[in-house]
Amino acid sequence: MQELVSVISLGSIYLLFSLGMSLTWGTIDVLNFAHGSIFMFATFCAYLILGKTSLPFLAVVGIGVVVGAVLSLLVQVAAFEPILKRARNKRSAEMQILIGGIGIATIPLAIAQVQTKSNPFGLAASTFHVTVWHLGSARITNVAVFTIVVGLAIWGAISVWLRRSRQGLALRSIGVDSETASLMGINRRRLALGTMAVSGALAGLAGVMFTYTTSAITPESGDTLLIKAFAIIILGGVGSMAGVAFGAFALALVETLVLTYTSGSWVDAVAFGLIFLVLLARPAGVFGRKEVRRA
Amino acid sequence: MNILRSRRLHAALAAGVVLSLAACGGGGSSSSSSASSSGGSSNLPSTIKVVGSEPETGPAAFAGLSAEKGYKLAVKQINDQHFLGKDTTMDVTFQDTKGQIPTAASIVSTVVPDKSVSAMFGSVSSQEAVAQSPIAQKSGLPIVYTQAGSDGVVIGNYTYRATPLMATYYPVLKKYVDQNKWKTVGVIYTNASPTLVQVATESIPKLGLTVTKSIATTATTQDFSAPIQQVLATHPDVVSILQVGAANPTAMTQLRQAGYTGAVLGNSGASAGNLKPAGQDGANMVWATDFNYQQTASSSQKFVSDYKAEYNENPLQYAAEGYDAAWFLARSIKDAGSADRAKIATGMAAEAKKKSNGALGENLTWKDGTIQVPGSAVQWTGTDEKLLYSATS
Amino acid sequence: MIDFFNANQVLVQATLSGLVLALSIQVPLRMGVFSFAGAGSYGLGGYAAALLVIHLNLNALEAIGLTIVITAFVGLLLGLVISRLNGLYLAMATVAFDLIISVVAINGGTFTGESTGLYGVIVDFTTTTMFIMTVVAVLLVALSERGRTGRRTQAVRDDQQLAASAGVNVRRYRLMAFVVGGALGGLGGAMNVMVRTTIGPLDIGFGLVVLALTMIIVGGTMSWKGAVLGAIIFTWLPHFLDFIGQWQTLVYGVIVALAAIFLPRGIHGVIVDIIRWVQRRRRGTLDKPAPDPSGDPEPEQLLPPSGTSSISPSAPQQPIRGSVARSLLARGAKS
Repeated sequence: MQELVSVISLGSIYLLFSLGMSLTWGTIDVLNFAHGSIFMFATFCAYLILGKTSLPFLAVVGIGVVVGAVLSLLVQVAAFEPILKRARNKRSAEMQILIGGIGIATIPLAIAQVQTKSNPFGLAASTFHVTVWHLGSARITNVAVFTIVVGLAIWGAISVWLRRSRQGLALRSIGVDSETASLMGINRRRLALGTMAVSGALAGLAGVMFTYTTSAITPESGDTLLIKAFAIIILGGVGSMAGVAFGAFALALVETLVLTYTSGSWVDAVAFGLIFLVLLARPAGVFGRKEVRRA
Repeated sequence: MNILRSRRLHAALAAGVVLSLAACGGGGSSSSSSASSSGGSSNLPSTIKVVGSEPETGPAAFAGLSAEKGYKLAVKQINDQHFLGKDTTMDVTFQDTKGQIPTAASIVSTVVPDKSVSAMFGSVSSQEAVAQSPIAQKSGLPIVYTQAGSDGVVIGNYTYRATPLMATYYPVLKKYVDQNKWKTVGVIYTNASPTLVQVATESIPKLGLTVTKSIATTATTQDFSAPIQQVLATHPDVVSILQVGAANPTAMTQLRQAGYTGAVLGNSGASAGNLKPAGQDGANMVWATDFNYQQTASSSQKFVSDYKAEYNENPLQYAAEGYDAAWFLARSIKDAGSADRAKIATGMAAEAKKKSNGALGENLTWKDGTIQVPGSAVQWTGTDEKLLYSATS
Repeated sequence: MIDFFNANQVLVQATLSGLVLALSIQVPLRMGVFSFAGAGSYGLGGYAAALLVIHLNLNALEAIGLTIVITAFVGLLLGLVISRLNGLYLAMATVAFDLIISVVAINGGTFTGESTGLYGVIVDFTTTTMFIMTVVAVLLVALSERGRTGRRTQAVRDDQQLAASAGVNVRRYRLMAFVVGGALGGLGGAMNVMVRTTIGPLDIGFGLVVLALTMIIVGGTMSWKGAVLGAIIFTWLPHFLDFIGQWQTLVYGVIVALAAIFLPRGIHGVIVDIIRWVQRRRRGTLDKPAPDPSGDPEPEQLLPPSGTSSISPSAPQQPIRGSVARSLLARGAKS
């Protein structure tokens, strides 16, 4: 029972983090390598502000969300849009955005590293305290409950929005064929900005929840999650909301199982091995619907 | 090979190895107790140049910068006291390895042809040290390290390490274990640090404990709920968390959330305030260290008060180790009576046969090029470190 | 000059092994194969060479030679398994391969030295030998950019169906990409461990992919010259940024980001553009600049090959498809 609780709360964290990446990758074709850095830096800003004044939980979450959204927008406007404008074709645009994201990711990382000297930092200075509740024989923290509830709620909301609303439809059409979409009168730029902002907001939210869960992160924490997010999105399928949820919980489950039955140092191999196998067997991922370019 | 590489996923790995190597530093400071001084100091030039290499930026920066403070304090005292002679001063400059192995190696190979430099202080990071040692040893450049506890660092008569290996002083915790009458232990350790792997597999059992469950986590493990649950399910008397960096507060917090309220056997990688983000959950972690600023040896206390006067803060173990390393080099130079590299190496060999007092304690000996320190047990109260006791040497 | 060389030997060596690493990713990329397996081969090569020296006491050349065979073979196996994937999916699969190698390295027990890695790899291997080997590798790559192989490579990259219809064995070329990438990666890793005498998990892994990519993209994706530029710049840049102190990584990241945004074809691409502009000017046909064709223009093709007459400056305006087809058919591209 306890194991199930750990898997679900770990999976929810992964879900929150990967949602943002999956959203932009699946719709506007932006594989944002700076996502992990934004995740960390939003939390870092919250930490700095908490150093001056103690704030309640929702305020801290708010800071994370706002900083994340702003940073993401900044990256889109200052870097990804110019790259797209100058790129000759889709493939080279993808590569340039990848590299641009990598370069940009080091900027918040460097700032945080200099400020903290890479020492761990947390959000303990808020008025929020992590408490443990009992669910029968299992224990669960209020942070975990919040993460699970909010994670699933947001995931559900975005899934429904993408499928049902007009804007969601517009966004998905950009993912399928952006030229035709703009011919149909869709404001690509506005939707792209909006998507990046939401993605960044999710990263910030994930950062705050993650830090409350682990009580401490370092400037390098975002990068570790980045690779896991790849595994999740590939496993579930790029562009699929069901896929990213499946991927997040599946990865959490597999990691926990491997940890339980082996010594634990093979956990990473499992994640990467999974990516590899899925790409071989079913490159579209379990739920993927995007066309996979084949040789 | 380059900055982006180390800074990324393996940053935790690097921090792990450094921290695992460095056990607590202890440091007392005082000039050497050895009376012999065979070579006359009249052969020493007016300036003896030493180059130091430390990670001043990157995940191990806090250790590197702290070590530099210790080195610099020692050099200042050496010069103020005219220890090397009334006309001779030691001049040390530090270069940043940036946490990059090739940069660290490059610093050494740049120093090798520069004959005006007599010796080097090596990096606190194991991986960097392992790349530096072969170059130094092969070209006959004396190099003294602190921390850097893996194999392949002390490889010959030109390489010395002024930090004991954690496995050699971890037994200081036996008294604590006996006091609490613990018989069984559950261990969660990181495989990112060779020192901690050794502590987990060898030192913990040697404390007289039977291991009920042992789980290795990786450098990328950020959530410890699953391993903690595994370990607690075997109902050990005490839990041991051997991690580096942020994993310490995370593991402590999640351990408390899982319902375990007892003491935790840790390692000095949790020192230097790393447990602060865990708040009260971090309290009651106990570890062995080679130096704590509260330790009572008089040479240690002298170091602490000198350090406080200079820097207005309590010294970390890294500073104490750097302090003793610099004094060791100074004594070796004085012994050799020359700034010639080969003669300094002979001087170091002679000094390593003697007992010395320093920041790390009194009557310290060397074995196979590594200093030996009895060690102290330190407890984290949730806000500060508290010295429980020191081992008698 | 010799003094500079000696004092900065490590940087020179890092440039050489970085160049070979960059090539191991650039060559497949130029063939349209998004494989980053070169980084994994580099790690595999480093460890293999170290183990060969430590356990079998081979000398440098033997160890490097055997390592290249091993990594090329592994590359072939990998290629056979995943060559049907394309685009970012192929890239992700190769990244997974790279990361699996580093996990195996950490978990290999005392055989791979776990988290410390292997050390004490002492062989007689001078920087000069390293330089010669690198030059040979670069020459081979440069040769592959010219002539028939060059055109075929470009065909396979730009339009596989067309190339296949022109008789090029696409599958074989794509497999070659994996083998060559593996061999180059292995060479780079082996040489690096010979001069560094150590190798550990920190030296390999995802950071290598990042490093190689930045070298190629900023230096120039289309030609080995871009890789050379990239390797030199990114090995020596930290050295020159030294004076910035603790903000160095920030400046480095900014430079990479700016290069990715403003120099889509890398510095080499900029140089090529400048040369073309100068040529057009000299010929007096400096009217509106030639619009880029829809594919990736091969700068090499647009520059007059030495000794032959210069091609018409209006060539870039024709779609690549046409020019590729023309050149393939003109030379009778039977594989």
